[in-house]
Amino acid sequence: MNAITSTNWYDSLIAATVAAQQPVKISARDLDFHYAGFHALKNISLDIPAKRVTAIIGPSGCGKSTLLRVFNRIYAIYPTLAARGEVLLDGEDILDPHFSVNRLRSKVGMVFQKPVPFPMSIRDNIAWAVRHHARLGRDEMSERIEQALRAAALWDEVKDKLKQNALGLSGGQQQRLCIARAIALKPEVLLLDEPTSALDPVATGRIEQLIEELKRDYTIVIVTHNMQQAARVSDRTAFMYLGELIEFGDTEKIFTRPDKQQTEDYITGRFG
Amino acid sequence: MNTPTHDHIVKSYDAEIARLAGEIAAMGELATAQLDAAMDALHKRDSRAAQRVADNDDALDAREREISQDVLRLLALRQPIARDLREILAALRIASDLERIGDYAANVAKRAIGLNLSAPVPLASGLTTLTTLAGELVREVLRAYATRDAQRAHAAWRRDTELDALYTGLFRELLTYMMEDARSITACTHLLFIAKNIERIGDHATNIAEEIWFLVYAEPLKRARERGDISPGV
Repeated sequence: MNAITSTNWYDSLIAATVAAQQPVKISARDLDFHYAGFHALKNISLDIPAKRVTAIIGPSGCGKSTLLRVFNRIYAIYPTLAARGEVLLDGEDILDPHFSVNRLRSKVGMVFQKPVPFPMSIRDNIAWAVRHHARLGRDEMSERIEQALRAAALWDEVKDKLKQNALGLSGGQQQRLCIARAIALKPEVLLLDEPTSALDPVATGRIEQLIEELKRDYTIVIVTHNMQQAARVSDRTAFMYLGELIEFGDTEKIFTRPDKQQTEDYITGRFG
Repeated sequence: MNTPTHDHIVKSYDAEIARLAGEIAAMGELATAQLDAAMDALHKRDSRAAQRVADNDDALDAREREISQDVLRLLALRQPIARDLREILAALRIASDLERIGDYAANVAKRAIGLNLSAPVPLASGLTTLTTLAGELVREVLRAYATRDAQRAHAAWRRDTELDALYTGLFRELLTYMMEDARSITACTHLLFIAKNIERIGDHATNIAEEIWFLVYAEPLKRARERGDISPGV
């Protein structure tokens, strides 16, 4: 018997127990989603733990980005799209039309694959978003902006050029600005859709470090094609395929001994 | 248990893992051949043959270094996970067990040379049985490795108790000889060390069996046994 394997086994048991005890932030119940006659999400049920990082992995077209988009109802801009089932945020169904989109978006922030800074100053990029949701005095606003930029690990790099156009920042800085903009609204959940796929390894490392720091205060859901990234940053991993949730569990378990053959084939690069 | 049902999308990855398994098989053959040759030299009191066995240990060490190098490269370039990672870690560990088995075979050969410096003594009867069983266990776990057959590995693992019992019997036998005739103490001490080396070879065979189990089931064999979760009939 090898002492190392036995310790890992013990650790993963402990980790799984801790994850299981974490309160649930978002809970999807029998969630279905159709668009243009396509059944994109099929009867998805899963619990996203609070203040943990949950990764969603799966091949292109598996529904992982759709699931993320349902979590902040971004699909609502297209009136023909509809989700069925329930998505409970702290027990409240966000799919209920009475749950205002504005309130939802202030609780659930989203960052996309390609950084989308507004063509305005770094400061205004954040201020504009904050003004949309809150009325703050000048000092309060400055404080909020600094807090957000610090939380996104961007403050030291931009503090002397807040009035410069955000489009002049590097790709990695732009992405951190987008994260800062999302954080400035003081959300409870951060949805990250392939946040580093357009970034170089150094910028990617910074974002991953940031994710680790942010999970102290936020519930994070990240969609990524980069399996190693999911393994590095997340506590729980969901594997989706053809609109179905195939397996959801402790990240260490998913990447060392998944229960389902399909999961194993996908993560080891055997999909066929 | 998840057995790969598909090849890797990147074919060269499969080829590299297959190559690693081939290297383990070749190293296993070399290690068992060393053990056989050492015992043969012992029986025939052939010091030159024994010296060859001791010298050949370098070849086994070189094989182990090659496997370590391949494992290092696979880890760095492929970033294996799940079953792939266990495959590669198992290869590294099994190579290290085989290297130790080779060391023990070389030790037996060196003791044989020492034995030849004194008058011939009748080899303790249990020694041949002990060696035969140890060699059989090593070959059996290597066959189990070749087919990734965890149940077969477990069956071999269980037989280590037979080996331990034989060793204990042999120990008593040699002790009796020494008590009967003080002149046999030098030779019997050599034989005791030889027996101990062979008993240790059995322990490394059980290590390999455990590594195969972990490779297939992703959990330690002993934990599965404690839970009573071992297929019936084994």
